[in-house]
Amino acid sequence: MAPILRIEHLVKVYPTGTRALDDVSLDVERGEFVVLIGLSGSGKSTLLRCINRLVEPTSGRILLDGTDMARARGSELRRMRRRIGMIFQQFNLVRRSSVFANVLAGRLGSRPLWRTVAMRPTTEDVALAFENLGRVGIVGKAYSRADALSGGQQQRVGIARALMQRPDLMLADEPVASLDPATSHSVMKYLEEINRKDGITVLCSLHFLSLARRYGTRVIALKDGRVAFDGKPVDIDEVRFKEIYGEDAVEVEIGVGPTADERAAAESADATAAAMRAHLETLDTH
Amino acid sequence: MAEYFTARGLPVPRELERNILTDWRRLGAIAAVLLVLFVGLRITSIDTSRANPEYAGSVLVQLLQWDFTIMSPQNEFETFWETAGGQMIVTIFLGIIATAFSIVVALPLSFLGARNIMTGNPITAAIYAVARVVFTIVRSIDVLIVVILAVIIFGLGNAAGVFGLAFHNIGVLGKLYSEAIEGIDPGPGEAITATGANRFQVIWTAVLPQIVNPFISFTIYRLDANVRLAPIIGLVGGGGIGVLLFHTMNLLNYRQAGLIIFMIILTVAVMDFISAQIRRRLI
Repeated sequence: MAPILRIEHLVKVYPTGTRALDDVSLDVERGEFVVLIGLSGSGKSTLLRCINRLVEPTSGRILLDGTDMARARGSELRRMRRRIGMIFQQFNLVRRSSVFANVLAGRLGSRPLWRTVAMRPTTEDVALAFENLGRVGIVGKAYSRADALSGGQQQRVGIARALMQRPDLMLADEPVASLDPATSHSVMKYLEEINRKDGITVLCSLHFLSLARRYGTRVIALKDGRVAFDGKPVDIDEVRFKEIYGEDAVEVEIGVGPTADERAAAESADATAAAMRAHLETLDTH
Repeated sequence: MAEYFTARGLPVPRELERNILTDWRRLGAIAAVLLVLFVGLRITSIDTSRANPEYAGSVLVQLLQWDFTIMSPQNEFETFWETAGGQMIVTIFLGIIATAFSIVVALPLSFLGARNIMTGNPITAAIYAVARVVFTIVRSIDVLIVVILAVIIFGLGNAAGVFGLAFHNIGVLGKLYSEAIEGIDPGPGEAITATGANRFQVIWTAVLPQIVNPFISFTIYRLDANVRLAPIIGLVGGGGIGVLLFHTMNLLNYRQAGLIIFMIILTVAVMDFISAQIRRRLI
């Protein structure tokens, strides 16, 4: 069976001259949970946004089930986008609208314009919206304003909105980077569930390698816009890690409760304070 | 002071480096302002020698001795709407109608003048630039000048006044609306685009909910401004209570003029209060 997503020689050069993606080629098989890792600015976000053309690729092909997404225009592009769900680091909900309206928005592309303008969703869509809200456990918040919810709840609304499209592929751009460790796991578990139960292929960028190891069936690392590693999570050893993140990097764990990275943050804050004190003392002695 | 830094091999902060007495940029700025004021005083030749405090005082007293005859019809041909009270009400509605006209034009145009909506291809980017230039030009022509020109087209009266107020207001509201649209969070629009919705659906679902409150707030602010301006446009032939004020002043009928001025002040104050109350609740 053909891969659900095949990327061939994808290049993205921003108008500023930044070469965000430099000849990226990869295949994603149906049902995989692919985690994208890499430093900030390594091209993760650009790659995800090129796939559904929120960012226009400079050259290369993006084959979704054999059809070139990079060449699609107008209504064909919108039809292809419907098959790809996406969730975002900042959730990107319409903050003043209700949770229900936000979830329903995931279905816009499949419905005629007048239903949007007249606010008359089909009964089927309403039922689907409540079903998806139920799946992510926030039916009780359906009538709340989106900005009244906590970060983790907002991201679950984001997942429910993407599920409205009944997507084949789910893109997740740093979905837990704005959340605390415990909430991160709860959101990742919903992504894992739609991957396992619904067979939706997931392509998810993450900051923490520990999360990548826990949830990914495959890890792709980007470095300076190129694929630096592509393989099983367990194959990322100390050497690989330093290749991806650079010589000075130290791996941190993200777990439930007071985590290693929280301790690290506290330690680094202490260290900064100590350094400042030391600096002030040297000033005084002069 | 600077020795503290130099002794320790640190760069001296810019603020400490300057000496106020020898800073030529500061001295230059002060000299430039003084020069402008001196030249201004010379060429305007402001002359207060002809002021007549005694006469002014007697006029002031008359302005406060209100003559209420203008509150009722002067002859059998006049109705309530020709009286000062009627004209005040007409004037308020001149402002309201002018605002309504300008909303209808500015609302769709403001989307064309919003950078974040119009970027993407060269054609829309060009439309954006044109829309912004049009707003700026329209806005830069003062209401009174537009009314004077409109009198040539419509003749003296309410039509010229409404046209003048509406024309200028299109420029102002267009700019305010456009900037409100530019200030929205782009994230929701990006998310709705990713679901396969078209541009109109994105605007309807992700942009509109974010701009409703700023739009209402700006509209009330401009309504307030237009009702404030409406009595003035009568002075140049734009209709409303300003015409009545102009006539009474020309006839040196200060008792009637005083009452009209008081009515205008009262209206503007009430409008200002209501507008502030509504806008406060919106934010």
